[in-house]
Parts: sequence; structure tokens; C-alpha cells
Amino acid sequence: MPWSRFEKQWSIQEEGRILSYKDALREAIDQAMCLDPKVFAIGLDADDCYGVYGSMLNLSHPERVLGTPISENAMTGVALGAALTGMRPIHIHMRVDFLPVAMDQITNYVSKWKAMFGGKPKVPLVIRAVVGRGWGCGAQHSQTLHGMFAHLPGLSVVTPATPRDAKGLLLQAIALDEPVLFLEHRWLYKNEGAVPEEMYTIPLGKGQYLRRGDSLTIVAPSLAAIHSLQACEEHDLDVDLIDPRTIKPLDRELILDSVRRTGRLLVVDYDSPVCGFASEVLALVAEEAPEALLAGAQKMTFPDVPMPASGVLERRYYPDPDRIAAKAKAMISRVKGEGALV
Amino acid sequence: MMENAQIKPAEGLDLYERMLRIRLLSEHILEVYRDDVMETPVHLTLGQEAVAVGVCAHLRDEDVLSLGHRTHAGALAKGLPLKSLLAELYGRSTGCSGSYGGSMHVYDPEHGIHGSSAIVGGNIALGVGAALSFKLQSKEGVAVSMFGDGACDAGVFWESMNYAALAGLPVLFLLEDNQLSNVMPKSKHLYPDPRAIAANFMPTYFADGTDAISVFLSAKEAISEIRRTGRPAFLHCPTKRWMKHQGVEEEDLPFIHIDREKDCPIQKLESFLLGARMATPGELKQVRAHLEEELEAAIHYARQSPYPPVQALEV
Repeated sequence: MPWSRFEKQWSIQEEGRILSYKDALREAIDQAMCLDPKVFAIGLDADDCYGVYGSMLNLSHPERVLGTPISENAMTGVALGAALTGMRPIHIHMRVDFLPVAMDQITNYVSKWKAMFGGKPKVPLVIRAVVGRGWGCGAQHSQTLHGMFAHLPGLSVVTPATPRDAKGLLLQAIALDEPVLFLEHRWLYKNEGAVPEEMYTIPLGKGQYLRRGDSLTIVAPSLAAIHSLQACEEHDLDVDLIDPRTIKPLDRELILDSVRRTGRLLVVDYDSPVCGFASEVLALVAEEAPEALLAGAQKMTFPDVPMPASGVLERRYYPDPDRIAAKAKAMISRVKGEGALV
Repeated sequence: MMENAQIKPAEGLDLYERMLRIRLLSEHILEVYRDDVMETPVHLTLGQEAVAVGVCAHLRDEDVLSLGHRTHAGALAKGLPLKSLLAELYGRSTGCSGSYGGSMHVYDPEHGIHGSSAIVGGNIALGVGAALSFKLQSKEGVAVSMFGDGACDAGVFWESMNYAALAGLPVLFLLEDNQLSNVMPKSKHLYPDPRAIAANFMPTYFADGTDAISVFLSAKEAISEIRRTGRPAFLHCPTKRWMKHQGVEEEDLPFIHIDREKDCPIQKLESFLLGARMATPGELKQVRAHLEEELEAAIHYARQSPYPPVQALEV
């Protein structure tokens, strides 16, 4: 599989210590393991020579990296049991498509455990999973699923777009006493950016502006944030670009403030369209700031079909910077009041 | 069964007290349940008391017990205070899970109960996780995953035994085999003998699950082996469920034969203790009187406790 052909995406030019997304993840895990002997990583092929696409190679505590059989459901329960009894597990899955195998544990156990016992238990469990299409990998190795998991009460869903956020959000997720699903886009692994060397955390539920503008608000998580920024910069678009950083909790105020100012909203979400993150953001604005929608609100997502394998179809399935730019331009050019709510 | 040289009188009386506590709670539930004062489905442990009690006699507070939906016997045997369980059943904020759990979801980490689950099978994995935690922290401790024959149908049963054996974890797989999955007989839901499956992974032990002494002795052997080797073991305890899967009606399946005298773990233990002169009728009576008082106080505590504030759900 020729990963190198497309693996490195357009990325933000920054000054400082430059690190890849993958190495930022690795550094977060290593620093957390060095700081706290209760942190350990566990997962299918977590301990092999590839180290989860390099994100777990050469750690200072290899004895705390445990491989597992192909038993995602039981192993999620094992990780939960360890979390409840004093450890801080990071359960890693090389593809998000393996998480549905563990859906009983994630839905009925992990996400419920704190609330089901009156908020008393501490559940310091991070589930890492790599999302995104490969190369002709078809329907079972190309999913995102962050919207599906965000639907579950009791589970936070984190989607870092930059190396800096990958490290800070992962350290935050590990530090929390509640379960966090941490979704890393495979296409961002080689992207580089400035990453502080010291340990730092970024709180869940705090989005960020990647670009400021007045004519259109774009909300886009994970790889979609980077592609949207690329579209804006290459086409010089007057866009307020928000990377929510976390799907849940969601930085509602940041989105509402922006939409109230720009009057136009585009959600770019590399996930399925029905009952998903994009729909959630549109619902938020419809509930809280309907007056701001007068110049239109749209979403750009996958089509509502499973991913096909053929390259021709696969490239059409995923939105890309050019299509984002075209959509944004069309929305910006629309006069307020015209074509409202479409 | 009765190998009286291997059990001390104090141990025998302790088994008796723990089983009777569970029995009296069940009887209280039978009395009040139809009035809807407990708004939670109950899976009673009438007739099955010996399994949890015989095993928990060998556990310390810090040892972990991972339970499924049929919680009452295991939770009380492990040390969950009766009043906390009753308050939970009565839906009060002083309940062991703050009223958010109900009968199927009990929580008492001080006694090694880190929650229980109503989706059959999954709790087996949580016990294995607790055992992994003991191992990673170099702590002495045993985890017990307690489950019924229905859970043996599920993939998580296999997955959990496989990992526990591969990783070498101090966990007891405790099969409380009431030979029913809801109303389905074991012959219709489980093809192989579960003990034969387990034997591929770990040493297995067997006990009569209606006989507290039998469970006590086999569990003693299994748990000492786990403590000695740090590796998993399996204990199979066939028993009999007197009630329907859920609720307060008696089981009336045509293929289930229950003799409430002969199959009663409490009566069996009484006869044993008296026959072996390990206890006098007066002592047993005293235990019962003490437990009845404890139950009265716990009921009072639960009924006097406040309901949870509904404002907690306002967003």
C-alpha cells in the first residue's frame, strides 16, 4: 500500500520545535508513562515491531505495552476492569473499524459505568483508534464513526487535527478519571507542526480558530479542519474556521459566537451524514441562534453509503480542499436572505 | 460432602450467617415487592446462596468480585452492607449506587465490588481486568468473575479465559450454574460442558452448588492455587434457581425439579453443623435473631432515606 504517496497532508507552517503528529502522540504516551507508573498501553499488535504506525515505538517503558489476542470486546472489558482497580489504561486500536467488535463493552459498560453507580467510580480509560480511509481498503477499513460514538452519553470523543493538539489532548485524556475515545486520523500522522517539549494539557470542550474571517463559519474536526484551512489559504477565503478539537464535549459558544457574526455556516465532517456531528452542529445553531441562519447552513460529509474500494469512487467519497473551497465560495457569494435554510 | 475435619466451627457458623442474611433479604423482597416499593427488577438468589458464600469465605476485602445481574448473594457475601443494598433497592440516594443502579448494578469498592453488569457475560472480562491490575501493580489479590451458565454461550467467556491464561492472571472463573438461561434449559443453549472448555485453559474444580461446605472446600483449593501460582482457575458449581429468572414468582418449569427441603443450602448446612456438633440449635437461633434485627434496622434505614433529587437530570 503506497502510504507515502498521500500520507503527508498540507500542514500549518509554524515555528518552534517541529514534530510529527505521530511523534507528538508518542511523546505524550512516553511522558505519561514516565510520570505515572499506572499508565499502560494495551491493544492488538500494540507491542509489535511497528508500534502502532510508529506512535508507540521506543517507549521508555516497553514492559507497560501489552499485546492482546483478537478479542476486542473482552479486552475492552479487561481495560475497564483495570481502570476501575487503580490503573490508567490506554487501549489502542489500529483501525476504528475494530471498535464495533467491542460495542457491547463500549456502549453498555465503559460509557455507562460512572453514571450507573451514582457518579462514584473513577474510569481513567483512554481508547485510542485510528480513523480514515486507506487505499482501496473498502467499507470495513475506511470509517470514521466519531458521530456514532458521540451519541453515547458518558463518553467523550476527541479528534485532534494538529500535532500540538494530539499531544495536549492525549495527555489530558490520560489524566481524566473518565472514559475518553481518542480518534486519530491516519492521514495526519506525518503532518508536522510546533509541539512544546514539556508536558501540557488541552482541556476537552475547547475549540480553536484556525483562521479568522467574517463571511462564513466553517466548523471542521480532524483532517477536515486541515483540508478546510488549506482550502481557505489557497483560495484566500474570508472564513472563520473553527476546529472543535473534541466532538464531545462540544465548544458550543465558540460556534454560536462565530455564526452570529458571519451569518453563514458550513460544517465539513468526514463522517456519515445521518444523525452525525454535522447534523448536531446545525441543530445547535437552529436551537440557539436561528436568526443567524438566514444566509444558509450546510453540511459537507460522506455520502450515506459505505465506502467503495475503487480509487475513482473513493476519491469522490471523501471531500477534499478543492470541493470545500467551491462550496465555501458558493455560500459566501449568496446574498443574505436568499435561499435561506438550504 | 461433610468433611468436618476441614472446616472449623467458626467458619461453618460464618457461612451460615452469610447465607441466612441473603435468604432473609430475599424473603423481605418477596413480602413487599408486589407493592412496587422497590421499582427495580430483582433476580433473586433463593436456593443459590451457597455458591457466593462458599467462595467469598476465602476472599479478603481487597480481592475483587465481578458480578452479573443476579447480584444480591454475591454482593452481601463479599461484604456489601445490607442497608446500602436495601436503600438501592428502595431507590434511595443512600443506596450503594446512589439509586442510579438498582438491583442489577451494585457498587462497593471498599469490599472489592467495582460494579456489576446486566448484559450477560461482559462482567467476566472486568474480573480479568482487575486481575491484570493486581499483576501490573505487583499486588497480592485474587479477582473472581462470577457468572451463570447463560454467560458460557457468549464469546466474551472464551476471550476472557484465553487472555487470562495467556497473560497468567490471578482470576477465578466462578460458574454458578443454575442450568437455566431465563427459561431455557442448558441443553438448549450450551452444547459443550463448560468445564471441559475451561480445562483447555486452566485447572478446573467442581462443587455442589447447593452445599456450602462443598463450595467452601473446593473454593479453598482453587483460590489457594490461584494465590500460589498467580494463574487462573475455574470452579463449576451446579445449583438450583428456585424463582423465575426475574421477580417474585416461583419457578414452575416442567423440567426443573426442586425439593425445597432437600435442595436448600441453609437447611443442609444446619443439619451438618448440628450433626457434627459444630453448633447448637441455640447458637443457630441466636444468629437468626441477630440477622432479623439487622434486617429490620436496614429496612428502616432505607425507608427513611431520601430519594435522589430530580434536579440532577436538568441540563
